[in-house]
Amino acid sequence: MADQGSEPDLHPLANIDQVIHAPARLMVLTYLYVVESADFIYLMRLTGLTWGNLSTHLTRLEEEGYVEILKEFQGKKPHTIIRLTEQGRAAFRVYKKSMAQVLDDLPD
Amino acid sequence: MSRTLSLREAERRAFTIAFDDGLWDIFLGCFFLEFAIAPFLSENLGDFWSSVIFLPFWGLVYLAIWMIRKYIVKPRIGSVKFGPARTAKLKKFTSVMLLINIVVLVLGVIAVLSFGVVSSQIYPIIFGLTLLIGFSLAAYFLDFPRLYIYGLLLACSPLVGEWVYTYRNASHHGFPITFGVTCSIMILTGLIVFIRFLHNNPIPVMETSVEER
Repeated sequence: MADQGSEPDLHPLANIDQVIHAPARLMVLTYLYVVESADFIYLMRLTGLTWGNLSTHLTRLEEEGYVEILKEFQGKKPHTIIRLTEQGRAAFRVYKKSMAQVLDDLPD
Repeated sequence: MSRTLSLREAERRAFTIAFDDGLWDIFLGCFFLEFAIAPFLSENLGDFWSSVIFLPFWGLVYLAIWMIRKYIVKPRIGSVKFGPARTAKLKKFTSVMLLINIVVLVLGVIAVLSFGVVSSQIYPIIFGLTLLIGFSLAAYFLDFPRLYIYGLLLACSPLVGEWVYTYRNASHHGFPITFGVTCSIMILTGLIVFIRFLHNNPIPVMETSVEER
């Protein structure tokens, strides 16, 4: 029988934010976390995601209130700027802390 | 997406991708080309005018790079506003570079005033060291490792130049040879990086609304 006391506390993992946990969205949020804002093309180049893929993930993150998508025109061309909201920044911090807690407690 | 990604690495990548187009290499190569060409011009124009004549050349190169960045690079790579950590690092970099320029200016004045008093061998050493320190600091602050190599090459240029001048009878303290080779390496590297950048980053299809998808 396993020693209950030595098992890592998996509670934070159970509460992990599934919206952030998806690899592509995690990558998008990681890059947005370290910059003030980036436009759509820049994020596409950084993440290596296709246009459609990135659009889908950004829409999901926007629905969750994690990112803010601002649209403007540069001449006649549409230009999309994306930035992390305060809610998104806080959610990312919680996610980072939860993952670190679980992974640090796991035995080698 | 198999690459591991730390926040520090993500920040570094988000910064360097904006400048890894080879244009800085080309600009710096063109800038230091003065040391290779000016010695020839100084025979007819004098030291002052042979340097001043490069100002419009640098201006033209800068204008060309600004236009290439605006019309060719930006549509391919997009734009970004850096976070507070990087902005603070860039401010620190600007202050350090300003300090180095003041030191170089003071050393230049001292060198002119002490000409003939101290050994002429000391000038290329101080000049080389200043270039090495300046470029190393820039490489560190800008996360731009190629600048370490350029710094080393530029630092060696006056020293090797003096050597070929003394032992191989090269003209103009060997500067046309050593700085010519160094600047050619920088410009060629920049061109290769720029061509690779264009190849790896084609213009994406017209941006459409996120909601449309």
